[in-house]
Amino acid sequence: MVDQLPNRGRELEMLREMGFESMEALFADIPAEVRFKGDLPLPEPQSEEEIISDARRLLGANLALGQRPSFLGAGLYRNYVPASVFQLVTRGEFLTAYTPYQPEVSQGMLQAMWEFQTLVSELVGLPIANLSLYDGSTAAAEALTCAVRVHNRKASQPNTVYISALTPPDKRSVMFNYCQGAEIEIRTIDHLADGSLDLESLAEAAGSCGVYLEQPNPLGVLDENLVRVKEIIGEHTALIVGVQPVSLGVVEAPGHYGADIVVGEGQPLGSPVTGGGPLYGIFACSQPYLRLMPGRIVGRSIDVDGNEAYCLTLSTREQHIRRHRATSNICTNETLIALMGAMHMALLGPDGLRVLAERNLQACQAAKEALQATPGVTLVHDAAHFNEFAIAVPGNAAACLAFLDANGITGGFDLSRWYPEHDDRILVTTTDQTSSADIAALAAQLALWSTHLEVKA
Amino acid sequence: MSHLFDHHGAENTGYSQPQGLSTTGQATVPKGLLRKNPARWPRLSEPEMVRHYTWLSKRNFGIDTGFYPLGSCTMKHNPRVNEVIAQLPGIADIHPHLPEHHLQGLLSIYYEMQHMLEICAGMDQVTLQPVAGAQGEFTAVRCIQEYFRLRGEDQRTKVIVPDSAHGTNPASAAMAGFEIVEIPSREDGRIDLDALAAVADDTTAAMMITNPNTLGLFEADISAASAIVHEAGGQMYYDGANFNAILGITSPGLMGFDAVHFNLHKTFSQPHGGGGPGSGPIGVKAHLAPFLPGPLAARRTPTAEERIQAVDEHWYHWIEPEHSIGKVQQWHGNAGAVIRCWAYYRRYGNGLTTMSEHAVLNANYLRHAIHREAKRIGVDHLFVDGAETEVAKHEFTLSMQPAKEALGISAMDVAKGLLDRGYMAPTVYFPLVVPECMMIEPTETESKDTLDTFAKHFVEVLTVEPEVLHEAPVTTPVRRVDEVYAARNLCLRHPFDDA
Repeated sequence: MVDQLPNRGRELEMLREMGFESMEALFADIPAEVRFKGDLPLPEPQSEEEIISDARRLLGANLALGQRPSFLGAGLYRNYVPASVFQLVTRGEFLTAYTPYQPEVSQGMLQAMWEFQTLVSELVGLPIANLSLYDGSTAAAEALTCAVRVHNRKASQPNTVYISALTPPDKRSVMFNYCQGAEIEIRTIDHLADGSLDLESLAEAAGSCGVYLEQPNPLGVLDENLVRVKEIIGEHTALIVGVQPVSLGVVEAPGHYGADIVVGEGQPLGSPVTGGGPLYGIFACSQPYLRLMPGRIVGRSIDVDGNEAYCLTLSTREQHIRRHRATSNICTNETLIALMGAMHMALLGPDGLRVLAERNLQACQAAKEALQATPGVTLVHDAAHFNEFAIAVPGNAAACLAFLDANGITGGFDLSRWYPEHDDRILVTTTDQTSSADIAALAAQLALWSTHLEVKA
Repeated sequence: MSHLFDHHGAENTGYSQPQGLSTTGQATVPKGLLRKNPARWPRLSEPEMVRHYTWLSKRNFGIDTGFYPLGSCTMKHNPRVNEVIAQLPGIADIHPHLPEHHLQGLLSIYYEMQHMLEICAGMDQVTLQPVAGAQGEFTAVRCIQEYFRLRGEDQRTKVIVPDSAHGTNPASAAMAGFEIVEIPSREDGRIDLDALAAVADDTTAAMMITNPNTLGLFEADISAASAIVHEAGGQMYYDGANFNAILGITSPGLMGFDAVHFNLHKTFSQPHGGGGPGSGPIGVKAHLAPFLPGPLAARRTPTAEERIQAVDEHWYHWIEPEHSIGKVQQWHGNAGAVIRCWAYYRRYGNGLTTMSEHAVLNANYLRHAIHREAKRIGVDHLFVDGAETEVAKHEFTLSMQPAKEALGISAMDVAKGLLDRGYMAPTVYFPLVVPECMMIEPTETESKDTLDTFAKHFVEVLTVEPEVLHEAPVTTPVRRVDEVYAARNLCLRHPFDDA
């Protein structure tokens, strides 16, 4: 700790100059009855070398996804972040800055975020994007409350939103927490046996404030029905689409089929999985939502000499100005991770994104073909998929995953954790990082699992 | 100027990728879903991309660039080993849904961080899930809300905040569905116990307050305030934004609080990243613990089989609180930030008290030095303390009102003058209770020499001709930015040619 405190050894000199004789004098205003007695019951300070050694030991006990074949995704996608992104994002000028309250000395981050807004806007096909929310789940939750703020007055179902019944419970829980304060009711829309949206069920959502759907959906299904949603729900109900941003290299941008708000987990563009955070939430919308949307926004302006300059704008929506009437409480966001996203997008370009999306599609297709041919395994949805797909296995999914784990494979996600009615289903996730050998290993072990069960029977 | 969207390289100039696993990718996408027009992204080669972002970085000011006395934000040095640790595959490449036996390292660090924060805050249970301070506030008031609902006290619909509170306090409570009751501060900037007693009743769910308060003053009456709120049956919520001042000296628990959030990006040095990411864990007393978002890290004695994979004598696992409010983020919070802050805490260990002592020492010293230098050159009549006090804590406020009245020099003018001298400006116009406010927080990682030099520059700004100062800054990448123009001529993205 000594190396972090430049004034160690100069305490008394500084105190005396102020007319004090001890450090204690600086704390004389804290009443005795609330003072800590004795020392903090914590370990001794460590040096940098001891800390990194402990970190290597403890973090080394975690299983990194790249250590062996892994098919665990379910909302987070293992990717490759180009080296230049890490090198640039740890530049101290970016890393150690804070919210650009003084635009004259923050032009770098402001311009980078304005460019990020443009990149996201183009990606999803909507004119406006903010400079990130916390993650995909909070972006989805904030989209629901935003939709209610915009549409509540004209809605025949006020304070009501609809979400896909497939929405993972953890995400639904975030939505509930964000919505309950405004007394917003969250109802669900069903899906058909092939995983596509039930458009008849959707009809009930017309006249509500908003509809939240994902493309690809939480089970990886690319759903053509989504392009028909906007005409069914009408102009006074917001269509909110959650995306895996990489898919938009090949899949149509939701803004081009009627989405009013597009949200998503930005992670696959620019950020490692990182145990689930920090990530960044994408939030983009069309004009009618602009003044009631959450989060920070950068605008291009001019300085007093008329030169191009950037600054935060539309701040009157925000908590530091509007206080309890703010559109959101968000202050600290995920700017640095969004910057990583911008760098990755810039490096990919439109062709690179298409190639990346293709690689994801190809890995998914290869895995589907291999598992379709694996005895005992069935694919749950006869549909097109991106990144992931549900399979049914003989016996119990949890036991099957434990078997795969013991045999050196991280097999996927036990779908009974989302949908307790199915205890034999696994969500198998592939990404651009999945290899043919990984897929072959999974297929071989799943075949063994089937045999293993037959032998036991 | 370097503009990202001016780069129109040939196709595939960007990042080169390996061959895919087959050739059937796009063919699997339903025809009606195929993207018709690609995003109009730029085309850059790596050297162009690296140069663009390096150029941008040089137009940005961070702690590494120079002194960053931004009040309330605790802009301390960010130790670099923390960045190295956060990029180890054992954190960067792990999935939160991995089984517990593959996450023993993460779980043990989560447990250690929960435990350390519980000790420092005097709380019984901490969750690391909230990803920012404001989200921590929201999470805690949600827990308080469910606590009262379970007790059948649904009539507790109001949250009390002082007028000097951070904007996030009322915003977070309102988001959870509470009505906000704002109480005025006293003339001296402290909490007005009479005003509090007048509003605290059986409709009060909680009071949200930070201590030291936003003026950098310790609220000596805090125990009395807690007693008033508790007497009315409400809960006391501690906004941990200013925790850097009191670590190891006092704690929210000792002051009578029931819940607290931490800003790990302030106190525990997660880099602020130009606006985030942060991490905003909360700690609560036992009666609120059943309502926390799950999962929480817990530990027990390992079985014989588990002992092989254990990282120490314990087996770490997740638990779900009984009446959990559910989740506020889909995963386990900002794990990467938690790891960095763990590395930071390990550096201080039981010496965290020294960190806070030096933060307070530096703030008081800088306040002293600014007054000293002002007297020396005869500008001490141009500003006053934002609140009268013998000692400040980790930050202090100055009011530029006298300069405004005498010379027409505003707090913003002084801020811009400081930019010209190579500093980040202090926080201006907050808290709102101080006219022409400048809020200054040096943190413990600045040397005495830096503080002395800054003090000289600060008062020197007040000697500049007002007309000249109104023109500041002149040495920065751009000059004063027209925020009104930005709001009236909204340009939120590159216009391309069509717009």
